[in-house]
Amino acid sequence: MRRTAGRFAVVIAMALALLPVFWLISTSFKPYDEWASAPPHWLPHHPTLQNYRIVFAPEAARSFATATAGTLDYKVSESAWRAFANSAIISTIATAISVAVGTLAAYGMLRFPKKHDSFALQLLSVRMFPPIAVVVPLVILFSALKLTDTHLGLILAYAAFTLPFSTWMIRSFIEEVPTELEGVARIYGMSQFGAFVHIVLPLIRGGLLATALFVFILNWSEFLLALTLTSGGIVTVTLQVANYVSASSGKLYGVQAAMGTISTIPVIVFGYLIQRHMVRGLTFGAVKR
Amino acid sequence: MTDSNDRVGPLGRPSLISRRAILRAGGIGTAAIAGGSSLLNWARPAGAATNLAGAGEEIARTAKELAKGRHITLRILEPSGSLGNIKPVADLWTAATGIKVSYIEVPNGEISQKVLLEAVSKAGSFDIALPAGFSIPDLAASGILVNLDKLAQKHEPAGFRQSILYSASQFYKGNFYGYNTDGDTYLTFYRKDWIEDPKFAKPYSEKFGVPLAVPDSWSELDRQLAFFHQPDKGQYGGALFRSQYFIAWEWWVRFHAKGFFPFTDDLTPQINNEAGIQALAELVAASKSLYPGARTNGLFENFEAYGKGDIYANIGWGGTQKYLDSKSSIKGKTTYGPTPGGSVNGKLLKTPYFNWGWNYVVSTLSPEQEIAYLFTLYATSPELSTIAVRDPDGYFDPFRLEHYTDPEIISLYTPEFLAIHEASMKDSTPDLYMKGQGEYFDALRVNIQAADVGEKTPKAALDQTAREWQRISRRIGRKEQTVQWLFLKSLYPEGIRAQLS
Amino acid sequence: MARRRVARPNEQVESPVARRGPSLGFLLALPAHLLILVTVLVPSILVVWLSLTDWQPTQGIPWYAAPIIGLWNFSDLFNDQRFVGAVLRTIVIVVVSVLAELGLGLALALLFLDDWPWRKFAVAVIVLPMMIVPVDAANAFFMLFNERGPINQIIGLVVGHQYTFGWLADPDWALLPILLAEIWQWTPLMFLLLLTAFLSAPRNQWRAALSLGASPMRAFLRVLLPLTLPVILVAAIIRGIETFKIFDVIYILTRGGPGTATETISMFMYNGAFVYFRIGYIAAAALLVLVVVGTFCLALVRSLGRQA
Repeated sequence: MRRTAGRFAVVIAMALALLPVFWLISTSFKPYDEWASAPPHWLPHHPTLQNYRIVFAPEAARSFATATAGTLDYKVSESAWRAFANSAIISTIATAISVAVGTLAAYGMLRFPKKHDSFALQLLSVRMFPPIAVVVPLVILFSALKLTDTHLGLILAYAAFTLPFSTWMIRSFIEEVPTELEGVARIYGMSQFGAFVHIVLPLIRGGLLATALFVFILNWSEFLLALTLTSGGIVTVTLQVANYVSASSGKLYGVQAAMGTISTIPVIVFGYLIQRHMVRGLTFGAVKR
Repeated sequence: MTDSNDRVGPLGRPSLISRRAILRAGGIGTAAIAGGSSLLNWARPAGAATNLAGAGEEIARTAKELAKGRHITLRILEPSGSLGNIKPVADLWTAATGIKVSYIEVPNGEISQKVLLEAVSKAGSFDIALPAGFSIPDLAASGILVNLDKLAQKHEPAGFRQSILYSASQFYKGNFYGYNTDGDTYLTFYRKDWIEDPKFAKPYSEKFGVPLAVPDSWSELDRQLAFFHQPDKGQYGGALFRSQYFIAWEWWVRFHAKGFFPFTDDLTPQINNEAGIQALAELVAASKSLYPGARTNGLFENFEAYGKGDIYANIGWGGTQKYLDSKSSIKGKTTYGPTPGGSVNGKLLKTPYFNWGWNYVVSTLSPEQEIAYLFTLYATSPELSTIAVRDPDGYFDPFRLEHYTDPEIISLYTPEFLAIHEASMKDSTPDLYMKGQGEYFDALRVNIQAADVGEKTPKAALDQTAREWQRISRRIGRKEQTVQWLFLKSLYPEGIRAQLS
Repeated sequence: MARRRVARPNEQVESPVARRGPSLGFLLALPAHLLILVTVLVPSILVVWLSLTDWQPTQGIPWYAAPIIGLWNFSDLFNDQRFVGAVLRTIVIVVVSVLAELGLGLALALLFLDDWPWRKFAVAVIVLPMMIVPVDAANAFFMLFNERGPINQIIGLVVGHQYTFGWLADPDWALLPILLAEIWQWTPLMFLLLLTAFLSAPRNQWRAALSLGASPMRAFLRVLLPLTLPVILVAAIIRGIETFKIFDVIYILTRGGPGTATETISMFMYNGAFVYFRIGYIAAAALLVLVVVGTFCLALVRSLGRQA
């Protein structure tokens, strides 16, 4: 009896977990008049690909709209391909930098511990500050360095803000590598750095990948820095959603839902790939399986 | 191209004081007032517009010359949703000049901030922007807007501004910063079929002794709202705005209609005088006759609710009409009026109000300021601006005399609406074009809404607002704000200005 | 050449190049230091400067030429109802979210202690909210809580008449969708954490307690919970710190409105800096936040260090 009650509770939890995602996907296939209809349509009565067309091929969407609806209701200037490209470029490069720098720093922290080294804690505290507190002067600094609204600026900012995650996560992976292995390599004539590259790195390959995917997810989903460090020239997938507004119809829910659905797919895929390591990542390596 | 200092006023007399002289003298007092009206004299035409046919082509030719041999792309920072008005014109421009245009879209509530952010971040990411008219003072003060006086002197055809019905937003401290390209005058909407229906008209005229018609005064409107408000029958008096962002505008008109400026000549707020408190009290009383969504709904919800057909009156802009006349169920059943007036010195005074509007501005970080300016000149010329306004899915409402005689625009808005729109535009009082406009209005909004929901008495709300206004003025600098305020005062329509104290 | 010792079994090998250590160690940490320097430390110094001025871009002067007003910004902040309100509101959100996430995560984890055929699938589904881009999740919640949306529809079915409450426009209730969105997205993390902790806790004590006649609830409270308390604490603290920074959800759902009803610290600073452009004033707020958070961090680390 208790068992079935428990299973039932699990089913409810699953339904609640799925509800917003389901609504997002469902709305992405709804035509304009069903977006905020009363009563709400849980499943679209007349499913359409129009929203996806608007997201990826606004020109095609325009001709489709005129042909079927008779009104040119959607005048979005650009397709979202640019936003996806921007997000992909920025996230990937920032991830690479963050993981690379973090790996070096983590190895340095572990193998060359200094008595009063507070750098590790400095990194943690970076993560604890509300980003907005740093963004205000960062905008001014970037403007002096001509980094506002540039790919490089965002990349640097993203790399820095995810550095704590990469450093601590990789540190926890390196901790699992016994130091004897490097010691043996040193005896056979390898330099410390050589031991690092040839012994340690291959052993934490999986951890490196997991960290990279984790950091990529963080970068891809990032919003505040993208919002404040750009002025419209660079649009990431998180910003693009806010652009779907029309003068006569207000927020274009369906289009936003379509954009949201597509842009969240990479995060879902990568997230499930590293599901095992999510906990480790989100607790800075404090909690491992 | 005439020197803009030799303008001829509407009565044919040359304006006596040149703008340059005023500004050189430090422009406080009568000099600024006279200077301001000379700026606008040519924008309030007595009759038909000068023939500017072919102006667009000539502007395009000039631009093509300037751009010869170079590959230039003009980047326009535009509020999302306005592309419909810009793209057709930009495509024609590109065809005529070979200069490409690219767009940077930002959410329309944020465009003014994005331009100001540009002043901070100096990214140089756009050449032209379309901020809201009321943010021009802040943007100009921050140094991101090009003072277009010189370029206008060089390129603007004679009589170009004559048919622009509203242009107060184009100036700050006497300098010109960008053409207004929208017709956002505040208007009221009524159910014509209800007014003409004896079921309503007879009891109304019997009860109040006056025929049921489009109200001339706020007290009449309030009375009609109460009359029509029968929520148990599913019928509501009005769809006026009571949500926080919109609520202050209605109070602004009610206050002006009682015959007062928001500031005295030495920048002391008058908003909390008897008239202001009375205006707020009346606004709060009118809330009782509004539909249930009044306190929460924004613009689009307002369109939709009014369009459903169970509300008598609404307040809004050209965009409201575009929606009502195309997508709503009450198409053809509406009539229109300017914002009602009040009784001042024993007579009826109507104070139409222009609250929003988009202006084409040029960024000081643009490497192609002259060509950018030429684009804005092109886009707001009579012929091309008509093409822009024709597009239904954009924000630009008619703002030039030529728009009102264009068949497509007429069919988009209906002739009855356009008649009211034109009259209202010609007489619109300006918005609070001063540095810190956002802060002044936020203080108003928060306190007025507090009064509306009963948290504060009208007097307490306006007293609090006046105190905050004093603080804001002090922080920004009373002296320079006073200069701008006196200049702004001179931009009020002459007839109305004379009646306000 | 220095003699290198062969390591004895179980001996922790000390880096044989300790003498050259600092330089390699230094080099290894250098990129990280540089990155943090440019993007975090220098801005923090700028913040100190800006907080002593009342710089606004509309003053028409560059930021480094802004007149100094000393500590007036801080005095204004302490008297600023809006700032104080934002701080309090943020604390409320943090406490409520973390407690709810912990409670729900705990309840869920307990349901997964035993095994059944579709258990793995269930875990995968429950973990889904964590994998959604926060901005898109917020948009989904915006649509769900629409006046004519499904949430109101469901409530209408329960109460029996049409229900069209404007959640996000009501100053008293606007926090609820925000809290729900946050809790929805992060309970799975707590769930995973607690499940991991429970499953990896030594089962012997738990089984021993059960076989000695303790009820499952008692066994849980007296045995399992104390064993996993450290993990729970770490999770709660980390989650609390992350929630303190909450921004995306609030920006999408309400922008801090109606009025300032849902304005948290991050939203207050964003509005102040990027809507009103009172950069100097907000820099002071930022400095305050940085100092408070920094002190908190330090205290936390010291106490954790003492424990370990």
